[in-house]
Amino acid sequence: MKVVTIATTDLRRLLHWRANIFFLFVLPMLLILLLGAAFGASEKARIGVLGANEGRLARQFVAALGARPSTELHRYTSADALQQAVARGRVDAGLEFPAGYDARLQQGRGVTIGYFARPNSVAQQLRATVQSVAAEQSRTLAAAQVIQRDLKASFASALARAQAAAATTPRVLVQLSAPDGSAYRTTAGRFDSGASTQVLLFVFLNSLSGAAFLIETRRLGIARRILSTPTSTGTLVAGQLLGRLAVALLQALIIVLGSLLFFGVNWGEPLGTAAVLVSFCLVGTGAAVLLGSLFASEQQAGPVALLLGLGLAALGGSMAPLEVFPNTARTIAHVTPHAWANEAFSKLLKHGGDLVTVLPQVGVLLAFAAVAVTAAVWRLRHSLTV
Amino acid sequence: MVALPLRPATTAQASSENYVPCAWRSPDEADMSAWEVSPMAALRTVDAGVKGAPVGPLVHGPVLECRELHKRFGDVEAVHGVSLQIAAGETYGLLGPNGAGKTTTISMACGLLEADRGEVIVAGRPLTTRSVAAKAAIGYVPQELAIYPDLSARENLRFFARLYGLSAAAANARVEEVLAVIGLAERAREPTKNFSGGMQRRLNIGIGLLHRPQLLILDEPTVGVDPQSRNAILESVEALSAEGMAVLYTTHYMEEAERLCDRIGIVDLGELKAEGTRAELVALVGEHDRVTLEGTGDLEAAARACKSLSSVRAASVQDGGVQLIVDSARSVLPELLRTATDAGLAVSAVEVDEPDLETVFLHLTGKALRD
Repeated sequence: MKVVTIATTDLRRLLHWRANIFFLFVLPMLLILLLGAAFGASEKARIGVLGANEGRLARQFVAALGARPSTELHRYTSADALQQAVARGRVDAGLEFPAGYDARLQQGRGVTIGYFARPNSVAQQLRATVQSVAAEQSRTLAAAQVIQRDLKASFASALARAQAAAATTPRVLVQLSAPDGSAYRTTAGRFDSGASTQVLLFVFLNSLSGAAFLIETRRLGIARRILSTPTSTGTLVAGQLLGRLAVALLQALIIVLGSLLFFGVNWGEPLGTAAVLVSFCLVGTGAAVLLGSLFASEQQAGPVALLLGLGLAALGGSMAPLEVFPNTARTIAHVTPHAWANEAFSKLLKHGGDLVTVLPQVGVLLAFAAVAVTAAVWRLRHSLTV
Repeated sequence: MVALPLRPATTAQASSENYVPCAWRSPDEADMSAWEVSPMAALRTVDAGVKGAPVGPLVHGPVLECRELHKRFGDVEAVHGVSLQIAAGETYGLLGPNGAGKTTTISMACGLLEADRGEVIVAGRPLTTRSVAAKAAIGYVPQELAIYPDLSARENLRFFARLYGLSAAAANARVEEVLAVIGLAERAREPTKNFSGGMQRRLNIGIGLLHRPQLLILDEPTVGVDPQSRNAILESVEALSAEGMAVLYTTHYMEEAERLCDRIGIVDLGELKAEGTRAELVALVGEHDRVTLEGTGDLEAAARACKSLSSVRAASVQDGGVQLIVDSARSVLPELLRTATDAGLAVSAVEVDEPDLETVFLHLTGKALRD
């Protein structure tokens, strides 16, 4: 019971500071919003089109592109307007059909379509989509030209026969799945990725910042006074650990519920997500108590907390996705708990994973937590009894 | 020169006649009138449901017994063979300069520091840093303000009440009592960082009283306190002792030790140089009281007449007055005045110079207390 008294007092002290409401709730929500707006992928990739009325073939191209489930078409009437739309992020990419598109193709000449895009992964995926539509039209045109030449038919008639044949020709389909054969979710909400990375960043950063509470308790002689009551050192240490864990869990809960409520973030399979978050909170708890037991003043611990909180988050993929890291950097990233947690969230949120899928990552996180908590308990006991 | 009323140096429970009502008031709180509360009221109020609180009959024998305590920090021997006993209702003062070993001694006495050698017994139970149950008998008031600055007085008290083992209901009731005792009931909801130094100091002491301990250990509780709050703290300690609480009080203020303590231990360089009542300590160093009678008339005849009294060791005429060396100025003064008057001296002023603890300390350690 005394453990709970110490822990709840820790939590109460945290909430006494109005500024903490900002750091616990407002700032994470703000960052999720900003990251989602700047880098998040929407349900559909937006593509701006110019010159779609250049002829029947151009219209067919655009129609085929628009029929793809992951694209959303926006039509523009001038090159300036389209370029501005891409530059300002109103669309992810722009597609410009040259004048005489149909005529050149009917004459059997090559045509170059202009494609310009924002430097992000959505635009890269969109480029592949555009290329596949172009390849499909090229194949149909090639068949039409063969028919036109062999049967001495008009281009329009040959194209119609080629298109009819293409509609009935068996196609090679590619089915996407995860390595274990489970369904592969390729689309995540605009804010999903930002929310999962920010929950890790803030849980760890605010846990480490909370080390100041432990130091203050010791510096003011309160820890010593607690030990003069019928309270054992073990109870005090357990209370302080539980207090830090409560703060970490509160932070996680605020971000999960807040992002769910305000941004409709999909947190994936609840058990898996809970396992990742709890194990990561345990790591944060151990790190916070260890930091709090290593330093003698809040002024010493503060910059270290900030450095570790932001540094490990950056290294572990909470500021940029691990997928864009070079192989060596990605390997190095796994010295941080953030990388393992981000990897687990990637499985849960992007690939429809569940608790079983993320067990290896959760296991590693628990190992991190065990090491951190053990070292923290040893150091804290030492600092309390010296 | 001192003329402080000393309480009888008894180790038995003091009578209620010694009770001093307490009204803590500091300049910044002059508008508060609801504080004139007896510190004893809270101690007398039994809160049912207190788990592990040392309510009930006082222990037979000493409440605190330290036997041959030794503590070394590296090359420095902070405490060397300190032994002392404190009975219920007794206030024992550890008097010594900063760095004498007082705090180290009381850290061992309240189970915060493990002795290298020696033994501490509290309320009949051996005490070490791991003796959780034995600590329930102790109320420790540290020298520093060990309170959460961002929590209110009530939250601080409730937190420690729970750590002292009081149930939630008992803690709530007891907290309100203690808030009244320390005069903070009306500001109980404010963060303690807004309090004056005196108010924080009172809260610091109040925490040590929450579980009505058998032994109260106060480590220099008046350091940095304004005169009014200081006086109130001293009155409170007197009252607690009168109620039967054993008090271990460390100070480097001689006046506090003389006023509060039934027995005093003089500590220097980690050693207990001497202990006893004030009178015993003074006698130990062989000092005598000095009485100067000033007036007009036959000074020589007055000196001769006084010298014939058995309690007068020496008499002489100096600087227009009669100077007398006596065993106990307090007991012999009426007889001296009568004798001098009968001898023809019209006494206009009397000056009594009693040897004080400063003198004793100087004699025992070769240095002044404030060195």
